[in-house]
Amino acid sequence: EDLRVDGRGCEDYRCVEVETDVVSNTSGSARVKLGHTDILVGVKAEMGTPKLEKPNEGYLEFFVDCSASATPEFEGRGGDDLGTEIANTLYRIFNKSSVDLESLCISPREHCWALYVDVLLLECGGNLFDAISIAVKAALFNTRIPRVRVLEDEEGSKDIELSDDPYDCIQLSVENVPCIVTLCKIGYRHVVDATLQEEACSLASLLVSVTSKGVVTCMRKVGKGSLDPESIFEMLETGKRVGKVLHASLQSILHKEESLGPKRQKVGFLG
Amino acid sequence: MPGDHRRIRGPEESQPPQRYAAGEGEAPVPRDPARLRPVYARAGLLSQAKGSAYLEAGGPKPGRGGLRGRLLCDFRRAPFSGRGRDAPPGGFEECELARALQESLEPAVRLGRYPRAQLEVSALLLGDGGLALAAPLALADTGVETYDLVLGCSLSRAPAPAPAWLLDPTLLEEERAAAGLTVALMPVLKQVAGLLGSGEGGPTESWAEAMRLGFEGCQRLYPVLQQCSVRAAHRRGASAPL
Repeated sequence: EDLRVDGRGCEDYRCVEVETDVVSNTSGSARVKLGHTDILVGVKAEMGTPKLEKPNEGYLEFFVDCSASATPEFEGRGGDDLGTEIANTLYRIFNKSSVDLESLCISPREHCWALYVDVLLLECGGNLFDAISIAVKAALFNTRIPRVRVLEDEEGSKDIELSDDPYDCIQLSVENVPCIVTLCKIGYRHVVDATLQEEACSLASLLVSVTSKGVVTCMRKVGKGSLDPESIFEMLETGKRVGKVLHASLQSILHKEESLGPKRQKVGFLG
Repeated sequence: MPGDHRRIRGPEESQPPQRYAAGEGEAPVPRDPARLRPVYARAGLLSQAKGSAYLEAGGPKPGRGGLRGRLLCDFRRAPFSGRGRDAPPGGFEECELARALQESLEPAVRLGRYPRAQLEVSALLLGDGGLALAAPLALADTGVETYDLVLGCSLSRAPAPAPAWLLDPTLLEEERAAAGLTVALMPVLKQVAGLLGSGEGGPTESWAEAMRLGFEGCQRLYPVLQQCSVRAAHRRGASAPL
């Protein structure tokens, strides 16, 4: 009948709140609230050495911290396994075409930008993967990397010069950054954006990572149960459809927020 | 555990010489996209484990699993298994594969029948090149009740200009792949126990086609593992004290 406990349809998301530039010491940050799930992502751009097999590219590193306040299960080291699983998934969904890594190169084989993406789980209210991927995309959109120049003098020694203007920055294009859509199998149907109660009823879910153009970059089955091959094909199509809509809304929110400029009223943590 | 200097005498960071080699190296040989390499499997090898299995597929890339009476999966690669000498165990890839293994085995095991038991499955990859099917065979070897055997198959998609999905890729094909997919199927129940794929796989129809190819591959492998399981049971029956 396409009706869930909270009145949503099977393909409806809960109300999403996104705010960028919430942490001042980062190169980019974002906070996403999806129902009771609260995620904070900070991106720091630091200079590093390119990896040996990719001398002309910079790189991204993901770290996920499940704080004990999110849910009592994360007390002590309880959240580490989940944190590693989420970080591994983030590494998997980002592929060559997601972010232009060559633009992060400063001088081949010597210097490049390394973007450290730190995800903090503040509150756990179901559907973590989707919320985290939205927050990561928003934080990368908000990231400003300072422009640097490599100066070479007569003796051949190189020096790196940072631009004097603090607003002279490179902005990353997040057009191809994917978002995750988790589809939980409950009975014979599947639902998008499950709450904690719905997740408890679901034995297996399919996690699909989709870009704004509808290209699937990753898929993974999660959970203790098994899935019917036909359901997987259906869930894949739903994931692609829902993903495209999600990207469109996210893009419009982010552009609207950016257009308000530096004078916009920030809600921050107490709003 | 970065650089354990008591065991490993050498520089902190080292690289295999192949990384410095110029040029493309070998190119993968064109082949039938749906071919499966011959598989050799044997159960009941380790005396100290309740159940065990050894699997070799098309060349020296074996894998081995052991079971001791909750389903916990541990996956390790031997340091010499890949192209270069890998970092000490505990890397993120191993955690990910252990988790994938656990999620694929859980639907098959009747954990409800063992309410207070903890089942530990550990897999050791001795040589790289593909499959990791030994674990479900080890489970069957112990006599743990399962709904079905779980069979896994991997595929990789060659990069453009000829993006085709290849079943059971060799190490070379996997390295050059634009996308990869691993499926785990319970052939009799026709249920998918595990699925993990990433990369530039193209449109959803392409991913669906790859999954179908993978499921077919699993169905083709089933008789081999079934026979191996039966043979191991006969061997155990013959050697049991009367």
